[in-house]
Amino acid sequence: MNLKLVDYLIISVYFLFVIGVGFIIKKKIKSSNDFLASSRSIPLWITSLAFISANLGAQEVIGMVASGAKYGIATVHFYWVGAIFAMVFLGVFMMPFYYGSRARSVPEYLRLRFDEKTRGLNAISFAVMTVFSSGISLYALAKLLEVMLNWDFDVSIWVAAGIVAIYTFLGGLTSAVYNEVLQFFLIVLGLSPLVIVALQDAGGWENVKAQLSPNMTHAWKYMGDPDANPMGLHFMSMIFGLGFVMSFGYWCTDFLVVQRAMIARNMRDAQRTPIIAAIPKMMMPLIVVLPGIIAIALIQPALQSKGYSIPVDANGQLNYTMTLPSLIAHYYPSGLLGVGITALMASFMSGMAGNVTAFNAVFTYDIYQPYFVKNRSDRHYLVVGKFITLAGILISIATAYLAQGFNNINDLLQLVFGFVNGPLFATFLLGMFWKRSTGHGAFWGLVAGTLGAALTHGLTLAEGKGGWIAPVFEIKSGMGQAFIVAGISWIINFFTTIIVSLVTKPKPEEELKGLVYSLTEKPKYTQGKWYQRVVPLAILLLAITIILNIVFF
Amino acid sequence: MYKKFNQLSFVIGLFFFLVSLILFVHILLSDSTGKLNFYTAIAFLIFGVAMMMAKDPAPDQPESKN
Repeated sequence: MNLKLVDYLIISVYFLFVIGVGFIIKKKIKSSNDFLASSRSIPLWITSLAFISANLGAQEVIGMVASGAKYGIATVHFYWVGAIFAMVFLGVFMMPFYYGSRARSVPEYLRLRFDEKTRGLNAISFAVMTVFSSGISLYALAKLLEVMLNWDFDVSIWVAAGIVAIYTFLGGLTSAVYNEVLQFFLIVLGLSPLVIVALQDAGGWENVKAQLSPNMTHAWKYMGDPDANPMGLHFMSMIFGLGFVMSFGYWCTDFLVVQRAMIARNMRDAQRTPIIAAIPKMMMPLIVVLPGIIAIALIQPALQSKGYSIPVDANGQLNYTMTLPSLIAHYYPSGLLGVGITALMASFMSGMAGNVTAFNAVFTYDIYQPYFVKNRSDRHYLVVGKFITLAGILISIATAYLAQGFNNINDLLQLVFGFVNGPLFATFLLGMFWKRSTGHGAFWGLVAGTLGAALTHGLTLAEGKGGWIAPVFEIKSGMGQAFIVAGISWIINFFTTIIVSLVTKPKPEEELKGLVYSLTEKPKYTQGKWYQRVVPLAILLLAITIILNIVFF
Repeated sequence: MYKKFNQLSFVIGLFFFLVSLILFVHILLSDSTGKLNFYTAIAFLIFGVAMMMAKDPAPDQPESKN
């Protein structure tokens, strides 16, 4: 694939704009709160699109197209089971605590609700996770550009990281959030023509369905038997593992996304942020799952005359990761090719900037301020926040090079992230809805849940992964293994927290007001039209999600 | 005009407007370019102009609690 002048021009305009946004926002940054938390001043439409865009990183865009090609329409479960319900739950039930407690971060909420050690554990694991995620994102971008365009790996790393560094250093969270909105539109509008032209080339949706086996175009029909669907999962594993543990664990507790709702102007906007964001999230399979399904239809014998193929890896297997880049290369002419490449870059940079801005907030508020230097001027924490931003970028670059040298580091890090994230939602669920849960319970629940995840992974083997203690149980797919690991770790955390809480002393109720459901006055909104209110919007979204699941059953 | 750059919808609109112009110029200068570039440029132009003309919604009225 060769880019022409017009393509480079479009990429350059994009770089110019994202850096320009940084310079514009820079003038508004007066305090650490402006830099790290946007001073809760961001309008609803921006927080909502940033909420969805922070999750629209490269792993999401390229990974979901790859999953669409590999698993077919069942990939929509990551949206219609594994996202919308959790986003609605966050908006209706959890945002009042995050926003109302005036906590500046998710770990800070844990300190208010539980204690310092629970906050410290969560803050350190989150900071490590985000900065390494950022590095892996950077590595993936450079690798992709090297494979697709023969661009130098080092140049790609330093240019991409440098641009993210400039706009996050200048404008902090606000700059990252503004650019995420630009990146959202670029990804959606930049990839939409691809879906339209590829679907037309494949003869429309009916012809795509005719080319594929029925289990690739039915979301639920074959989920009753793990051997009958491409994911190799039973619907109960799907609902509990993905739909409950992993989904709620990510959408309701990961500061990277929750931070976007926490910077809204008021409580109602904070609650509506994930709910409004759920609307584009619901539609996202059209952009990121459908192209994968079309791609796999295009390589079937009846459509081979179209000349499209998915690249194969060294073992002769389909390299699903290259599905989206190969579709772009096949269908986009010069000009639009520049738009497509820019959209891919935008997804990587969006993911990286999201991670870096979440990292600098957690590190400054939850690690540096409480453990290293307390009670200094706001100016001091602003400078530290900026320094931490640069440090986060440099660690990301180091991680990218580490990932280049050790192929398995990506798998290893993803695995560790899974161990930490899996049980987390149990801590928040009990913390917000059971006033008897204690700091000791939460801390030891998290430790036990993480160890339980590691133990489960060590005793199960799937697609050659896991079983490092003893391969006692065999699981058909790696995805099924991830769901089971997350499910078991959640259960262990849940019950450990309850048991330890029952034998330890809870906080006085006075200290839990605004932090626990039963002790908090519920926000009631009587003003505005029904579609501006939280609960009616949430009900409507849930109804549409259920209908979508039925339509594509 | 400069104040407009503080408005995110204007900045996003301007970006898509410029990309559409680049695509149009490319279509005019190149001998063989598909319809895809043209239709995309039209869509980007409409979206860009609409975003540039749009105003950021006013913040909500203070919420009632009862």
